[in-house]
Amino acid sequence: MADLVGTTGVQRRAAEAATQADGQAAAQPRRLAAGGLIDRASPLRFTFDGRPLTGFAGDTLASALLASGVKLVGRSFKYHRPRGILSAGSEEPNALVELRSGARREPNSKATTVELFDGLSALSQNRWPSLSFDVGSVNSLFSPLFVAGFYYKTFMWPGALWERLYEPAIRRAAGLGRASGLADPDTYEKAWAHCDVLVVGSGPAGLSAALAAGRAGARVILCEDDWRLGGRLLSDPAEIDGRRGLDWADAALAELASLDQVTIMPRTAVFGVYDGGTYGALQRVGDHLPVPPEHQPRQRLWRIVARRCVVCAGAVERPIVFPGNDRPGVMLASAVRTYIGRFAVLPARRTVVFTSNDDGWRTVEAISAAGGEVAAVVDPRGSVPARFEAGSRGVPVIAGVVAAVEGGSGGVRGVTVRTADGRLRVGAGCLAVSGGFNPNVGLASGFRGRPGWRDDIAAFVPSGGPPGLRSAGAANGTFGLAAALREGHAAGTEAAAECGATGHPGEPATAADEALAITPLWHVAGAGKAFVDFQHDVTASDIALASQEGFDSVEHLKRYTTLGMATDQGRTSNVNGLAILAAGRGRSMLETGTTIYRPPQVPVAIGAFAGHHRDEHFHATRLPPSHHWAAERGAAFVDVGLWKRAQWFPLPGETDWLQSATREVRAVRSSVGFCDVSTLGKIEVCGPDAGTFLDRVYINTFSSLPVGRARYGIMLREDGMVMDDGTTSRLAEDHYFVTTTTAKAGPVMQHLEFCRQVLWPELDVQLASATDQWAQFSIAGPRTRDLLVLLADPGEDLSGEGFPFMGARAVRLRGGLPARLFRISFSGELAFELAVPARFGEALARNLMELGAGLGVVPYGTEALGIMRIEKGHVAGPELNGTTTAGDLGFARMMSTKKDFVGRVMAARPELIRPDRPVVVGIRPVDPARRLRAGAHILPKGAVPGPDTDQGYVTSACFSPTLERWIGLGLVSHGRERHGETVRAFDPLRGEDYEATLCDPVFYDPDGGRQRG
Amino acid sequence: MAEPAWTEQPPLARLIEAGRPVASADPPGVRLTVRAPRRLVQVMARRGGFRATVDAARGLFGSPPPSRPEAVFTADATLVWSGPGQFLVLDHAEPIDDPAAALRTAFAGTASVVDQSHGRVEIEVAGRQARAMLAKLCSLDLAAPAFAVGAAAATSIDHTNVTLWREPDDSDGPVFRFLVFSTFAESLWHLFTASAAEFGAAKGLR
Repeated sequence: MADLVGTTGVQRRAAEAATQADGQAAAQPRRLAAGGLIDRASPLRFTFDGRPLTGFAGDTLASALLASGVKLVGRSFKYHRPRGILSAGSEEPNALVELRSGARREPNSKATTVELFDGLSALSQNRWPSLSFDVGSVNSLFSPLFVAGFYYKTFMWPGALWERLYEPAIRRAAGLGRASGLADPDTYEKAWAHCDVLVVGSGPAGLSAALAAGRAGARVILCEDDWRLGGRLLSDPAEIDGRRGLDWADAALAELASLDQVTIMPRTAVFGVYDGGTYGALQRVGDHLPVPPEHQPRQRLWRIVARRCVVCAGAVERPIVFPGNDRPGVMLASAVRTYIGRFAVLPARRTVVFTSNDDGWRTVEAISAAGGEVAAVVDPRGSVPARFEAGSRGVPVIAGVVAAVEGGSGGVRGVTVRTADGRLRVGAGCLAVSGGFNPNVGLASGFRGRPGWRDDIAAFVPSGGPPGLRSAGAANGTFGLAAALREGHAAGTEAAAECGATGHPGEPATAADEALAITPLWHVAGAGKAFVDFQHDVTASDIALASQEGFDSVEHLKRYTTLGMATDQGRTSNVNGLAILAAGRGRSMLETGTTIYRPPQVPVAIGAFAGHHRDEHFHATRLPPSHHWAAERGAAFVDVGLWKRAQWFPLPGETDWLQSATREVRAVRSSVGFCDVSTLGKIEVCGPDAGTFLDRVYINTFSSLPVGRARYGIMLREDGMVMDDGTTSRLAEDHYFVTTTTAKAGPVMQHLEFCRQVLWPELDVQLASATDQWAQFSIAGPRTRDLLVLLADPGEDLSGEGFPFMGARAVRLRGGLPARLFRISFSGELAFELAVPARFGEALARNLMELGAGLGVVPYGTEALGIMRIEKGHVAGPELNGTTTAGDLGFARMMSTKKDFVGRVMAARPELIRPDRPVVVGIRPVDPARRLRAGAHILPKGAVPGPDTDQGYVTSACFSPTLERWIGLGLVSHGRERHGETVRAFDPLRGEDYEATLCDPVFYDPDGGRQRG
Repeated sequence: MAEPAWTEQPPLARLIEAGRPVASADPPGVRLTVRAPRRLVQVMARRGGFRATVDAARGLFGSPPPSRPEAVFTADATLVWSGPGQFLVLDHAEPIDDPAAALRTAFAGTASVVDQSHGRVEIEVAGRQARAMLAKLCSLDLAAPAFAVGAAAATSIDHTNVTLWREPDDSDGPVFRFLVFSTFAESLWHLFTASAAEFGAAKGLR
């Protein structure tokens, strides 16, 4: 092996001169003296692994690292191989770092997309104890073990070891970065936007599309992932409309900014296309700042509703797979150009360019123009493309392939080139590789679309695509500048016209025509690891092995080898992997196909999807009218669906919920108490056919209910199971007032609307939700009437005759307030429910407390409510659990046989009327001191627990202050015929096993004298 | 014997000044105003009775009620579409003594009438940045041509039903009104203020 190409003295001096930015030379040895889109007047300090470094405003973390001469940036996932910076964009698989510290620590940030800010601290990942000396790299020695599917093969047996040993060990050794483990201190938002034409990407094609659509008068949103618009024009010299490419881009942006209907969104990545022309996009509002400004979110998740979309998302250069291709200093050729052109960083003094296509030769020109030395161009095609002859004069050209890379964690030192004549060594600090370009077809392949294949550019290109979406420019496989400008303009023009825009789109911009010639080169076989997926350490031999083992469908290959499953979603690796698979199997690229493209195309933080909906704002909350009054009294609250309900009202000295709830129950049973039951669903059912309508939705009859009366009702689902229960009152001939349970208020309203609109549109009935209109309080206890007379207008007759049990009517209260009063009871006591317009709910609570002081009135919460309903044997949510029939709940006789109703037919299915179905029964432990818990299984006494002996379970349990023991309700097979039988209550979850007695579910006042009193 | 005192609890009173701080901006980008309660009555035409309902409404308000998602502004009332064959009446009639009684008489036999005066809270969102703020909560396109003055919608915010419409612009920009379920109002108010925070928000009751 010979060092074929030496460095000429002239070139070396030029390169040295170029890197001497005054005063910065030592700190940023690779920075060019001039050029680039950086602000040399704004130096920024940052640290990498604690080492203080500097960059400039306009840098990415990656460009600043390269400028400072840093090559080694991270360690790989599986083998802990030293890795550097491969790319200059969001396709970066290697240069992943942890940003910031403390609660804001963010793992897996791509150094190539991180905007440098003053004070940034970055840490390398996946190494211990240090980046340059990493113990985990010993994995490389055992690499024969870590082949494709090794998890599946190695850790098959014994299974018990998987959870305890293998998985924790693998997770420790692998993985990328560390989560902070602390609550995220930043806020996130979600937002909607609407437009005619969404343009994704702001390169030459995207700017042309946006200009054409905007000029035509369409509402345009232009999204650009980068913070600076222009795409490749930021990196590559170009001439458009006779101007410098950058100047043309600036003029285009100025024109777009002047159009009212155009919105430009930089730092916004469009990550997916969804139904109805909805696009997901992530805007990085504050990621480029140390801390987001006050009141600003860190990121904003947009749902953009667009009638048309033009995808101008460009193309990603792909590496070539050859041994040693993952060494720090091996870079994509176009990325090298970006670092030179945009960031004024020459990654190394001497560079070897390895290319299979013409675009690589642009990199040769760029390096030479920046004063760098191209040590050799390795192009298997062997000749200089005519277009590049002038720009690459004097550069050695080798017809061959790179077969090995010399250098480890210190970066590339040289490469071995294999030619027809043998092997030779070329010394260089950087290897720029171009294997061609993959158009970004992700969005265009949404909705399970499959890209097509073009042999002339050796690339997958969009084929079809989601409705309303078209691609243009490099994203469409149109790589020439002039053609991209034309195609973008045409796409923008068409999209705008399809939205009805009639303005003139202007003329497309012009540039010199150019074509990309490529002879695809996917894989250079040879000794040593040749990486396909850098981030997941998938090598060419892994793919060969997977194929050999039969995993040769692309979807199987992906799962078996984890190719393309990392955070970069295989943007540099998928096509290479497919090509190697195709070659191995002797199939074409189209026959081989691609895996299914699914959003998101770029990683999106869960926080962005959550937006404001976190912590106590995780979901909307509903507050009953007396909420603030209850909070004032120190009530404990419980979440019931979206509601916050008072659970109990502790008094000073009470330390335990049971103590408070027991006191509340005793007060109600001995005197009077009240409870806010406004959470029950309330539905006004109006119209001449209201009674008929209710007859059809309830199992029992309501058309016969007299005005001024209430009736308990049960409604079934279509399948015959109980849907909900509640009382319904008739307030006028054509006006009923339905109440539902708290939990089912919404579903019942939906069900009734469905019945009204779809099942029986002929019925003249109208529905209105009135849940929020009324503050409704249950007032219960033997002294209820004594309290109510203090509140009601003296003209209201509240006596047993004047207001009988299940009476319901509008009343007037003292002071003139109109109200509704219902004599219904859930507690077994004399009780009324009193409803007042909601804004008077708090006043009602205060009045009840004040007027009832002499009676010892207490407010009670949901715990006391629940205890009293169990004592009285009323069924509630735990029994109306969606698996019970009216018969199970003891309401078989309520099911009318004289009319049809929803669920009637299905309720008669044999399984639903089987005599051994579990039915509601009362349960009490034999030992009166024992606690009964819901969930305990009921078995025959002495039976061995098991599915064959299980006869049901305890649904509700409470300590009964009235009986001074624990009681409960359950669903038990043949329960009604077994009152008095001793059974086994078996609760393996809590380790409890005891005897209990089945009994009548009505523990309290079984003849109902109290509530009728 | 003490007479009961019926102090009406104004909507969101506790939250208008409290809550999260917002950016200071002069003039504020968004004005969030809780409107003083009005009479709010839901009118639902009976089967086949929409034409008669329209006639009755024209007699009462001088304008036909909306028959599609729109708000109709009359001299004394705002009529907001709330579904096929139904609309909401917002006006300043005496709120305490069965607010719906007069309308029930006027629509007797043609429409069912339900009082919702306490069932909804009316919130106004206005200001230069009102649309930018609402884009964070509302999936509808509220831009000028798509949602003109007088446009109305029944939609969902934070998984909660709301009715909204656009009032005539004021000197500061567009004006949107929302009717939200009363028991959800505090929760939605939080979302409104959080979404307005970055623009600077003036909060008030009017």
